Amino acid sequence: MSAHRTELSRRRFLGGSLMIVAGGVVTTACSTNPGADASSSARTTLNVWYHAYGEAGAQQAALRYATAFTKAHPDIAVKVTWVPGDYTAKINATLLTDAAPDVFEIGDFSDALARRGQIAALDDLYGSARSDFNDNAIAGVTVDGKLYGVKMIDDVMMLYFRKSRLTEAGITPPTTFDELVAAAKALTTKTGKGLFLGNDGLGDSPILAVRSNGADLVADGKVAFGSPQALEALTGLRRLHEDKSLLLGYTTDWWDPSALTQDVVPMQWCGLWAMPAVKTALGDDFGVLPWPAFKAGGSPAVRVGGWTSCVNAKGRHVDAAKKYVQWLWIQESGLQKDWAESYGFHVPPRKSVAAGAEKLSGGPARETVELAAKYGKPNPGTWDTAVSDAFRAAAAKIVGGQGDPAQIMAEAVDRAQTVVDKQRG
Amino acid sequence: MVAAPHTGPPRTRRRSGPARPSGRGPARAGRRPRAGRSAWAAFALLTAPTLIGLGAFKYVAIGWSFLLSLSDARGTIAPGRWVGLDNYLTLLSDRTFRASLGQILLFTAFIVPVTFAASLGLALLVHRIRRGRAVLRTAFLIPAAVSYVAASLLWKMSLFNGLPTGIANTVAGWFGMEAVPWLQTTSPPLYWVVLVTLRLWLQVGFYMVLFLAGLQGIPQDLYEAAALDGAKGLRLLRSITLPMLRNTSVAVLMLLFIAAFQAFDEFYNLFNSGLSGTGAAPVQTPLVHLYNTAMGSQDYGLGSAGAFVLTALIVGVTLIQGRFTGFGRKEG
Repeated sequence: MSAHRTELSRRRFLGGSLMIVAGGVVTTACSTNPGADASSSARTTLNVWYHAYGEAGAQQAALRYATAFTKAHPDIAVKVTWVPGDYTAKINATLLTDAAPDVFEIGDFSDALARRGQIAALDDLYGSARSDFNDNAIAGVTVDGKLYGVKMIDDVMMLYFRKSRLTEAGITPPTTFDELVAAAKALTTKTGKGLFLGNDGLGDSPILAVRSNGADLVADGKVAFGSPQALEALTGLRRLHEDKSLLLGYTTDWWDPSALTQDVVPMQWCGLWAMPAVKTALGDDFGVLPWPAFKAGGSPAVRVGGWTSCVNAKGRHVDAAKKYVQWLWIQESGLQKDWAESYGFHVPPRKSVAAGAEKLSGGPARETVELAAKYGKPNPGTWDTAVSDAFRAAAAKIVGGQGDPAQIMAEAVDRAQTVVDKQRG
Repeated sequence: MVAAPHTGPPRTRRRSGPARPSGRGPARAGRRPRAGRSAWAAFALLTAPTLIGLGAFKYVAIGWSFLLSLSDARGTIAPGRWVGLDNYLTLLSDRTFRASLGQILLFTAFIVPVTFAASLGLALLVHRIRRGRAVLRTAFLIPAAVSYVAASLLWKMSLFNGLPTGIANTVAGWFGMEAVPWLQTTSPPLYWVVLVTLRLWLQVGFYMVLFLAGLQGIPQDLYEAAALDGAKGLRLLRSITLPMLRNTSVAVLMLLFIAAFQAFDEFYNLFNSGLSGTGAAPVQTPLVHLYNTAMGSQDYGLGSAGAFVLTALIVGVTLIQGRFTGFGRKEG
């Protein structure tokens, strides 16, 4: 027994001390208090959390906004914390404690946070600006008729391709799923694969497949991804795997454009945020496409995600937090524009701001914005980890050819429906 | 540490034999109450920090978690909305959780004997050589100091990535094999190669050191006596080394079982794809499943219930193993 204890305490000790060191590094490196000079007069300090945006300059911008806010509201200081790693898990865990942030962003808004009373309703912040937000941005944060967040940015996810590589192979940009499968296969060589969807071979593709065949994920609290159309499209994804046309196990995952920019693959599913990096690396040698329609009668699909600013309903400074969210994401349209186009590219959810975003007004960026307006769909608000895991696990089995697709999907629907019912009940 | 009892019987007898009757008995008896009191004070003083720490950070947490496992605790860690055994029933009827239990049993059944054999074999080899023993011992032990997370990243991104330029694929290429995505290939399940080699690399050195300690505790005269009787080679191993290592082996086996059931780090880090988590991973250990339940879906009641199911499983297996191998039984 003694050996066990020694081993555990050794590990714990190492882990503990590493955590302390890491914590120190994180606090000194990532959380800065731009209001420090003013904080002698500041009565409240707001704790604001961001996930770690990958683009250079984003963190500095967030700090700049915080300083500007404190200048406008001298009694409120703002402490920005930049959170690397598994952001959702960290937010969820921290929300249970006193260290919870007052304002935080969440990707893919989850209704459950609102239903459990963890985030505050923000209807009164919108004012006349409400009609200026695009429909997805309003619908996405609406739970039982109230608005529980302010959409900061829309992130559009679409297919990038290298024009020159496709021309060399004599391929036109794919407009149907069959063409995509054929193109991926034709572009696969001995040393490289044709298409990168994600290191696990799935990425967003199961969601896109379902949408591209006219099916839905969850509709009005009913899990819909078990429909025959959805099943047909998901089973279709298997062809990409059987052809071995997919890049798997790359060192960075699909949201990073490295595989495309380093010429490892000629086609990659990625996001608008990566466009500046892609442009720098490839110049004009790239184009964008939606996920093609599965077959005639289906529709092309792009995913619209993005980040939403929320106020911790159980925080100590709810009013100050609301003031901050209103100031930054509703009043200061100049800063919203800066946030959307100066670092990575994102689409501003406010129509007036989007119209004034010059960098999104031409070339592939403009095409992407149009694709989003035409085919963009956000994930449903009930799409939390449990529902998504059930769906993805089933999709992984189906594309891997393990078992009967219909039965696998039926089980996943059961599991997901239980979770959705629990969320709503 | 574990091997101490081996050396016990002969030496203690020799040492304590003549000293006993020299009048120590009565003197000690007279002092006992006072010594007892101060001993108790010292005991309390020395153990209090640990006990208080254990109590506050372990037992209170365990008790709290048990209460949570009986409550509907979604998005909160306050027990109170009692639901009886609902969480346990939900969990046990959940196919994914049951599958994860099956997978961990399979994993344990494989990794425990392999790690055991590898570390015992290494210990025997390292024990035999005369020169450079310390160097080898250190070389094998060093990986035990590497964190699972760091090792997982190394395995995932450099050794076993899916590119033709990955180290494993390069080596396979020398033998004319095609580059494969190691972690993503499910038929045949190549990801097990990654998982098993990683765990072996990290663990074998540590258990080898435990075995080495055991080996060093075996009195040399036993081997000499056996050699006089003409025993050598395998016979020595079977009749002296292995029986004398019994206590060490039993302890190592138990540690291996517990470590295998608690597997999380490498499964999480190898299959985690960042934003989309480990939902589509080909294999999920119970702890990974529970982590996703509690930290992802914020269902702390269900997560706690799972923790207790897993604990029950570990305790059960340890007890069964103890019964079969006689852990803690006095040396015959």
